[in-house]
Amino acid sequence: MSLLSLEGVSRVYATRRGLFGKPVPVRAVDHVSFSVVPGRTLGIVGESGCGKSTTGRVALGIERPSEGRVTFEGATMPMPGTPEWRRMRARLQLVHQDPLGAMDRRLTVAAQVAEPLEIHGIGDKAERTDRVAALLRDVGLRADLAARHPHELSGGQRQRAVLARALATDPALLVADEPVSALDVSIQAQVINMLTDLQEARGIAMLFISHDLKVVRQVSHEVAVMYLGRIVEQGDPEAIFADPLHPYSRALVSAIPVPGPRRIERIVLSGDPPNPADRPSGCAFHPRCPLAVSACRAEVPELKAAADGRQVACHLVEAA
Amino acid sequence: MLRFVALRVGRALLTIALVVTFAFVVLRLSGDPALMIMSPDAPPEALAAFRQAWGLDEPIWLQYLKYFTAILQGELGQSFRDGRPAIQLVAERIPATLQLTLPALALKVGLGIPAGIYAALHRNSAIDRAVMTFAVAGFTVPSFVLGLLLVLVFAVQLGWLPSGGQESWRSVILPVISMGLGGAGILARFTRSAMLEVLGQPYIRTASAKGVPWHQVVRLHALPNAAIPTVTIVGFMVGTLMAGAVVVESVFSWPGVGRLMVVAVSNRDLAVVQCILLLVSATMVTSNLIVDLLYGVLDPRLRGTAPAGGGH
Amino acid sequence: MSEQVLPAVAAPPKRRVAIPPGVALAMLWLLAMVTIAVLADVIRPYGITAMDLRSRLQPPVGFGGGWLHPLGTDELGRDVFSRLIESIRMSLMIAFGATIIAAVFGTTMGFLAAHFRGWVEQAVLMLIDFQASMPFLILALSVLAFFGNSLPLFICLMGLYGWERHARISRGLAIAANAQGYAAAVRQLGAKPLRIYLKHVLPNIASTLIVAATLSFPEVVLLESGLSFLGLGVQPPMTSLGNMVGYGREYITRAPWIMLSPCVVIILTTLSVSILGDWLRDRLDPTLT
Repeated sequence: MSLLSLEGVSRVYATRRGLFGKPVPVRAVDHVSFSVVPGRTLGIVGESGCGKSTTGRVALGIERPSEGRVTFEGATMPMPGTPEWRRMRARLQLVHQDPLGAMDRRLTVAAQVAEPLEIHGIGDKAERTDRVAALLRDVGLRADLAARHPHELSGGQRQRAVLARALATDPALLVADEPVSALDVSIQAQVINMLTDLQEARGIAMLFISHDLKVVRQVSHEVAVMYLGRIVEQGDPEAIFADPLHPYSRALVSAIPVPGPRRIERIVLSGDPPNPADRPSGCAFHPRCPLAVSACRAEVPELKAAADGRQVACHLVEAA
Repeated sequence: MLRFVALRVGRALLTIALVVTFAFVVLRLSGDPALMIMSPDAPPEALAAFRQAWGLDEPIWLQYLKYFTAILQGELGQSFRDGRPAIQLVAERIPATLQLTLPALALKVGLGIPAGIYAALHRNSAIDRAVMTFAVAGFTVPSFVLGLLLVLVFAVQLGWLPSGGQESWRSVILPVISMGLGGAGILARFTRSAMLEVLGQPYIRTASAKGVPWHQVVRLHALPNAAIPTVTIVGFMVGTLMAGAVVVESVFSWPGVGRLMVVAVSNRDLAVVQCILLLVSATMVTSNLIVDLLYGVLDPRLRGTAPAGGGH
Repeated sequence: MSEQVLPAVAAPPKRRVAIPPGVALAMLWLLAMVTIAVLADVIRPYGITAMDLRSRLQPPVGFGGGWLHPLGTDELGRDVFSRLIESIRMSLMIAFGATIIAAVFGTTMGFLAAHFRGWVEQAVLMLIDFQASMPFLILALSVLAFFGNSLPLFICLMGLYGWERHARISRGLAIAANAQGYAAAVRQLGAKPLRIYLKHVLPNIASTLIVAATLSFPEVVLLESGLSFLGLGVQPPMTSLGNMVGYGREYITRAPWIMLSPCVVIILTTLSVSILGDWLRDRLDPTLT
């Protein structure tokens, strides 16, 4: 039984070119479907502007999908800002890139970790204090840091505090949008390990969004590669990283820095990075794809099951 | 460019319309307009005629429409003290007020701006500190206090100048100083900070480093750029001039519009009050409009519309 | 669970505050004024309407008068010092009340505009423009003409002065807070909008609002004195600083002290608040001009 499921979700923004131009629709997310299962992590990977953050926001219900449906725990996601939506926040939470911006600089860490408990009316004062202490322990923050203010902590400590706050109401789903991108590499590893430990301990499902393939590989049970708003490949992380099928995945994987001699030849993509306001026809990747044929320009490829159970959206990949 | 002007003029007209609406709403809220505009002991037939003329028995939006058209036609009611049309009463006092406000504006601008520029160019010198102290005095000493102090010194103690009335050219001096000096101080301070901000900009240093003589740098680069915010403040000062006129004319018993306003308010002579309110707002709006248009001339960044291609 | 391996980050030490002498004097004066206002009934030697017809138009001590009436008396023998004390209380009370009303009203309007955007914001912006485009004195006079004069009405009217300043500031800061950071994060936690504004946005912008309030406070004092001077503000038997100046004006030739003491108090008080406000602004929020 899936916890969160997106069916054919699109998110279209209307922007204008210049002050007086015609309105141009920008498809940030285009017919994306996936499910997240309790206790497992789905990683979404892709370059900047591919729509992964928007997907995360739509999944959480912060933005409404222009097409398609978002379902959480069996029910359709309510409209943002409504009381049902607010109540639902106790069940799903967001952690994102900038922990300092996400916290109020005037309140102590303890006060902010306790805030979700206050908002949703969980426990009385004594219980909340205990719970905050337990949460801080779980994320590996020393108890004496609880009385500090956010700007008095290091980056890694701040992110742990934000995480503690997100876990306060014991959510079933955690959406992490580039949670470690702003941290030093050594701290990244610690935070990642903490996330996986927490997932095991609490059975939380996770939607892990990042542009960093190494990190996604570590955390995810399933990976989806996004390009210009569409999922182009989806499946088991080890399979995808060892043998990527979609040309874009190949380029991404080949770019991962590896110590020692390279196993896969590095593929450098030609052409400019994509502009979502000006989508190419057919397969969105075809202008930069080294293997493009005429069919790629004409027709948009759908996600089809490939040999080992993966899904790939490419005309050139044999369907199973 | 035309679009720029049209937009500004449209907004100005909208503001005047708002003021008229404000007067209408306040008038309706405060009681029976007939009793207010005419006097409480006007004969019943006059009241009935007024009510009919103003459509007070009709639906409110219709009343508003009629009120609006009446204003546009200059029908602003009669002063019940005088019996004469309010417009006439106000109009005949305008010259007297102008005799004070125009020299006062000249004083503010003529004294304030050069003082501010000089202070900015000679920062932290004795002159700069003097200007700043003078400026502080400008907004802490209200014009009526300044006026009374001047009267005390120059009229009562020294006997050089008259303490009120409109007899000779000497009568103008103290009122104009009372009105203008405070504003001159404020303007000096403002001009100084505008100049300082401009002088701190990289392009000034560049011009100077290129070898352009300093006075040219000031004249060609600093002053025009500092003029932009200064023009806005001067436009705003037109408004404070009228507020100042109300007070100063009362201190010096000067027979201008300001004094008329005070008398009308004490007597609740609403036709006159309404007339002056509209006059003041029209003046303010016009001066803001002129400032806005001047802004467009002075600041090339505001003139064009956004370029094609999404640039800002 | 993994132990905290990072070294502890020490909290930054608190800085000591150095107060320049001018600011210290300003604070002292204001403290004196507030004390006088609060303790007026206790320290006032005479009632404000108590007439001593044998001591009319007495000059202050040092200029020919005695310690019985240290600042002299007016034409009805009323003690100027006592009236001054009472006037200080009245003017300060009106100024405080008006500033608070303007701050609360303005901030609320600013928040409403920032929260709802759309036509609500446009309406608030239009009101702000309207208020900023007319000299407030003229508006106030018109309202006084239409509605007559009573003290509560007068205070509310003064309270409309400067609200647009607070509205502009709070709207700008609330929009900025909403767009990024903590307000969005707390909303994401499921907080109701009211909680977000009261518990998070407001405390963070409070310092800027306070500085704006110190800018309008002296202006309200000047406005109220001006109106009272014209006879349109505080009405007798109540007395305020402007009121006293208005009365004193008639005796400018014979008894200038009646007019001078309230003038001096007005000047020193507005000066002190301005100095204090400038200093606060420099310390708290250098971006506010």
